[in-house]
Amino acid sequence: MSGLLRSNVTRAALRRGLATEVGQQAPRLKTFKIYRWSPDKPAEKPRLQEFQVDLNKCGPMVLDALLKIKDEQDGTLTLRRSCREGICGSCAMNIGGRNTLACLCKIDPDTSKESKIYPLPHMYVIKDLVPDLTQFYKQYKSVQPYLQRTSVPADGKENLQSIADRKKLDGLYECILCACCSTSCPSYWWNQEQYLGPAVLMQAYRWLIDSRDQASKMRKEMLQNSMSLYRCHTIMNCTRTCPKGLNPGLAIQEIKRSMALE
Amino acid sequence: MFSKGLMQRQALRTLHQTGSRSLTIPFLSTLPQNPGGVKGDVNDAVKPPAPSRIHGSLHWDFQRVTSVALLPLVGSSLASGGDISVVADSILATMLLGHVYVGFQSCIIDYIPARVYGKNHNYAMYLLTLGSLFAGVGIYKLETEEEGLTGLVKKLWTVNRSTEAKQ
Repeated sequence: MSGLLRSNVTRAALRRGLATEVGQQAPRLKTFKIYRWSPDKPAEKPRLQEFQVDLNKCGPMVLDALLKIKDEQDGTLTLRRSCREGICGSCAMNIGGRNTLACLCKIDPDTSKESKIYPLPHMYVIKDLVPDLTQFYKQYKSVQPYLQRTSVPADGKENLQSIADRKKLDGLYECILCACCSTSCPSYWWNQEQYLGPAVLMQAYRWLIDSRDQASKMRKEMLQNSMSLYRCHTIMNCTRTCPKGLNPGLAIQEIKRSMALE
Repeated sequence: MFSKGLMQRQALRTLHQTGSRSLTIPFLSTLPQNPGGVKGDVNDAVKPPAPSRIHGSLHWDFQRVTSVALLPLVGSSLASGGDISVVADSILATMLLGHVYVGFQSCIIDYIPARVYGKNHNYAMYLLTLGSLFAGVGIYKLETEEEGLTGLVKKLWTVNRSTEAKQ
């Protein structure tokens, strides 16, 4: 008797203790079409694979959906990701026809439309959504992205900079080198072996206008040819696509202007 | 030693790329390209071409100068209804030729690069220069023997009228 009573009491207590039950929500299935290519089967042509994700059980960003697919549906789906908050630049890919970071791109809640995801355009693909960025990094290395001076400061301590000079670097130093802008540039598509591309040129400009740097002459000399800088035709795809809201097109124009009278 | 190992791994790596067939001009011979577009070790920086002001900033300056100069030249000849002096007309025609010449040079550098097409790049440049020289001679003839560039453009309207009158 007492056992029955106790179990009744506990059942009632449990029922009261639980959160109010919600009626079963209808799943909101969103279709993702993802570019697949595997180096293990190089003869197979790349294809778009369809995945369906319930948006009610998924985070708001495209990266959440991709990781959900990788966790629950297909473990072989390959992509780069690291910080999931738009500061590392690993998850750059082409989502719905626009180069952006998967972690900063919201999933379109309209489930009647499918979302297409490709790797960065016109790059050599290593696997699925992973492009080969070797050339991009080699180009970044070629602009010598570090402070170069011929003299040391008088007190032998720090290279000081005025607040106004520091302000010139705003909008340039924030670049995370995700390669979204470079791979959106048609000029970079045609001549990426020689044209440096918007991301790298913006970093070249960042070191050109740094008041502490004393190697401007050498830096400009490196751009003084038909390929490295002057393949930019102000198409401005770079500025339109930048997930960080920077303006590489303007930076390239500023380099051209500073070199015009040399 | 470390970088050598990396390089060997890179040589073995397979990458997917669009077939070169769909990216190149079919009737021009091409040079073999490096795998992945990468030249040398992965740790080497890209080597820029030799510095040259003529191909660099001066080429760009010439593009800007000709395009900015064309604005008042074309504008004034349109505003005056084509009645401009032979000197003004010659300047307009020469500037236009220069503008088109450097513009096409840029197109050739973009789409027939020496990196991919080797000597064909030079042949394209020679062809462009030859054509521009012919055009220069044509401009000289237009200015000295006929009514100049603006006169030629004006004819586009009058030719139709004269054929209509004949009918």
